[in-house]
Amino acid sequence: MSLQNEEVEVIIKVKRFSPEKGNWWQEYKLRVDRFTQFTEALRRIKTEQDPTLAYRASCHMTVCGSCGMKINGEPRLACKTLVLDMVKKYESNVITIEPMDYFKPIKDLIVDLDDFYQRMYKVKPRLYPSEQVLKGEAEHRLKPEDQRMLWKFAQCIWCGLCVSSCPSVRNDPEFLGPAAHAKGFRFLADPRDTITEEREKILLDSAWRCTYCYMCYNVCPRDVEPVTAIKKTRAYTKIAKVKTPVIETGEKHTEAVFNSIFESGKIEEAKVYLSTYGLIGSLRDMIFLLKSGKLNYALIKEKPVENITEVRKILRGE
Amino acid sequence: MEKVNYDVVVIGAGLAGLMASHEIASAGYSVAVISKVFPTRSHSSAAEGGIAAYIDGNSDPNDNPDYMAYDTIKGGDYLVDQDAAELLAYKSGEIVRILESWGTLFNRQPDGRIAVRYFGGQTYPRTRFVGDKTGMALLHTVYERTSGLEKVDFYFEWFAWELVRDESRVRGVVAFDMRNMIPVFFKAKAIVIASGGMGMLYKHTTNSYINTGDGYAMALRAGVALKDPEFVQFHPTALYPSDILISEAARGEGGILRNNKGERFMARYAPKKLDLAPRDIASRAILTEVKEGRGFPGGYVGLDLTHLGEEYIKERLALAYEAAKAFAGIDATKEMIPVRPAQHYYMGGIDVNIEGRNPDIIGLFAAGEAACVSVHGANRLGSNSLLETLVFGRETGRAVVEFLKSYTEPSSDIDKESEKAEQLAYDVVKRESGVHFGEVVNKLREVMWEDVGVFRNEDGMKNAISEILKLREMAKDTYVLDKSKVYNTEFYNALEMKNMLDLALVIASTALNRKESRGAHYRLDYPKRDDENWLKHTIAYLRGNTVEITYKPVKITKWKPEERVY
Ligand SMILES: Cc1cc2nc3c(=O)[nH]c(=O)nc-3n(C[C@H](O)[C@H](O)[C@H](O)COP(=O)(O)OP(=O)(O)OC[C@H]3O[C@@H](n4cnc5c(N)ncnc54)[C@H](O)[C@@H]3O)c2cc1C
Ligand code: SF4
Ligand code: SF4
Ligand code: FES
Repeated sequence: MSLQNEEVEVIIKVKRFSPEKGNWWQEYKLRVDRFTQFTEALRRIKTEQDPTLAYRASCHMTVCGSCGMKINGEPRLACKTLVLDMVKKYESNVITIEPMDYFKPIKDLIVDLDDFYQRMYKVKPRLYPSEQVLKGEAEHRLKPEDQRMLWKFAQCIWCGLCVSSCPSVRNDPEFLGPAAHAKGFRFLADPRDTITEEREKILLDSAWRCTYCYMCYNVCPRDVEPVTAIKKTRAYTKIAKVKTPVIETGEKHTEAVFNSIFESGKIEEAKVYLSTYGLIGSLRDMIFLLKSGKLNYALIKEKPVENITEVRKILRGE
Repeated sequence: MEKVNYDVVVIGAGLAGLMASHEIASAGYSVAVISKVFPTRSHSSAAEGGIAAYIDGNSDPNDNPDYMAYDTIKGGDYLVDQDAAELLAYKSGEIVRILESWGTLFNRQPDGRIAVRYFGGQTYPRTRFVGDKTGMALLHTVYERTSGLEKVDFYFEWFAWELVRDESRVRGVVAFDMRNMIPVFFKAKAIVIASGGMGMLYKHTTNSYINTGDGYAMALRAGVALKDPEFVQFHPTALYPSDILISEAARGEGGILRNNKGERFMARYAPKKLDLAPRDIASRAILTEVKEGRGFPGGYVGLDLTHLGEEYIKERLALAYEAAKAFAGIDATKEMIPVRPAQHYYMGGIDVNIEGRNPDIIGLFAAGEAACVSVHGANRLGSNSLLETLVFGRETGRAVVEFLKSYTEPSSDIDKESEKAEQLAYDVVKRESGVHFGEVVNKLREVMWEDVGVFRNEDGMKNAISEILKLREMAKDTYVLDKSKVYNTEFYNALEMKNMLDLALVIASTALNRKESRGAHYRLDYPKRDDENWLKHTIAYLRGNTVEITYKPVKITKWKPEERVY
């Protein structure tokens, strides 16, 4: 049994930036083998070719969340990506590296993450245990299955990749963003926490502002699945005392989708719209859709799918 | 220079720094925490295996804290201060309880209590864990907790550069805001150095890129001693070429080390224990194979799991399997994992007592990997280091609070001294041509690896010292190509280089001085432990290009030194 390992020459094109010079692209040639991570490639460029190149990296093992960037356009952690894997995937020895989207660039691959941190702080990212436990007079017990469920969402390493690629974050200033929701849910669902009501106030409205596009699910290097956390958070609205308009609209939408699927096995866009936003709201939006030529699609009358009884069974949870 | 005032400045936002900050701020004092990186990106997040703790009512019924202290002392080859080991063991349960109450999601037993597993060198199982990401889970918890305190201000992506002192006291520290390169004098009544380890001194290390040993060098330049600086731990199986740790479990579960001929070479070095031989022996064996031409091109050997079968590997060795897959693109069920030894941990550090107090300067404290409380001695046991950062982080915080209670403001003016520190930073980089930091650093890491690494002997270490002195000369010509005033990482890398050179000289000199083999310090020319002459701590000061060495006795309470056999 041997270890095959050949060196290959690659060209790494880095999108650089400094406030003094603006943006420019710079090429670096280097030889890598099948084991070389992008963090190592960058380190070699910096120590052997160009000391001015600026980027963040610390652990080189996917736990510190420092090295988020775009590699061939994909939001990735540099340490979790092997250079030759990208060469193979794109069938090209030329690879581009750019800073993450959405965040303000500071220098080369380093972006300003303050926006990200502020989002995290908004969800009160810490456990508020009972006074007795804090004083050591009582002890927490936690079921192994609860530990497993919570740990999934607690594994976020604050890398920012999900926020950088979330469409709702850009369009809706009230939306907390995927990572903050994962963090928020991790405490909301922790049976040891004592400020549930306050957490609901922070999280519920925002949870209905996600479009379920699944970008965060796809880019997260730790499989945190922020969108799953958001779904689970939405379930809390059923029992929540305070409901904002967004929550009410969202709940109606979910119900309309359910009814539509129950009746026809499909999502009937027009019907769902009508039930969600009411007649006036729908008319306003329909006019917009007409103008943009999308209404034809919405007005097609749906026939039930063939095995609709099966669908109904599933929906009823049978 | 701009100036800010705090009761205490803590340098480092890893577990040790945060724990100390928590303790001090909770007592009502103002704290500035300075860190090169956002707190959760500190190296503490990289710890995988777990944190050791004897928990009353949740440990093996035959176990007790004294056994835990004994394991620690024996593991450290008797260079451990036994009062420190006892404190570590007796406070371990309480520390884990506190972290649990703050929210750490420790793995659980079916009845909801914290789970436990074995780690190397433990008589009874004591390691508590959060999946395979214990360090990350603990670090996030302590950061979450500390960031909720009013009295703590975080200065992250700030680079602490130089301590400022008068005749007898530490008065503050000069640090740069990395975003705009502006230096600020942080004036403080006490300083806690919790800046972590120094793996980047070695060509191969499992440590984070940011572990450049700044705190040790800062202390040395302020006239403070390092204790036992010659003791550097190496781990035999780091993944090639990224040096990501492949846990010892891989060998424990039946993994076999093989050279380029496919031979199970451990049979030559440890005929009985084979691949289960202790870390130091396995490290030496691998390097010997490579040196004698039986390694793979690039300098590594194979860790063969293939005979264990896919199911077994994926179930019992999930971590090793995944690391090989993610970071080396290797399918360990079909191919060997490429491994080689790498620097892993630094036992030496800033000389402090069990309160974290340094005896050289009033008001200076240290904790965590940056400190040497002498709890690990010549060799650290797995999962004792996370515990140390929290136990002694807290002890240090408490000692600082006591210190502040009786503090009186000195009358002498200190601002001039801080200007000098600023100047020193610019001196390192002010030239218009010369060498880049990268040349010096790459050479230094090579020299340390070859001559002050796993194998040591007189000729090698003398060579290392002369090379380091040459590099220190060369470094005087360092210049920084990047003239930008915004996030100039090259400037900070140059400062780190200066720090690394200072520390390297001390490590090489004290290693040359200790004429015995003990724990992680292995000398080919003195292969035996020598208690008669060397059962003592090294205390080293750096004066210009000379390293001044004195000694301190090892504190022995209950356990007489005996041979370390497993
Ligand atoms: C791969 C790996 C696995 C490990 N696994 C385990 C394990 O399972 N169990 C265990 O007990 N131990 C383990 N260890 C060891 C343990 O992780 C470390 O010893 C411990 O986390 C050190 O913590 P610390 O708080 O002292 O320092 P760190 O966490 O390293 O923090 C240092 C801090 O200092 C800051 N800093 C440094 N220099 C400067 C400067 N110039 N200016 C400003 N800030 C600065 C950094 O930004 C950082 O915030 C492991 C180590 C490695 C490498
Ligand atoms: S699923 Fe929601 S949170 Fe995730 S990226 Fe899409 S809009 Fe953002
Ligand atoms: S949820 Fe995932 S992608 Fe988003 S910040 Fe956390 S680790 Fe990164
Ligand atoms: S360097 Fe830490 S996550 Fe990539």
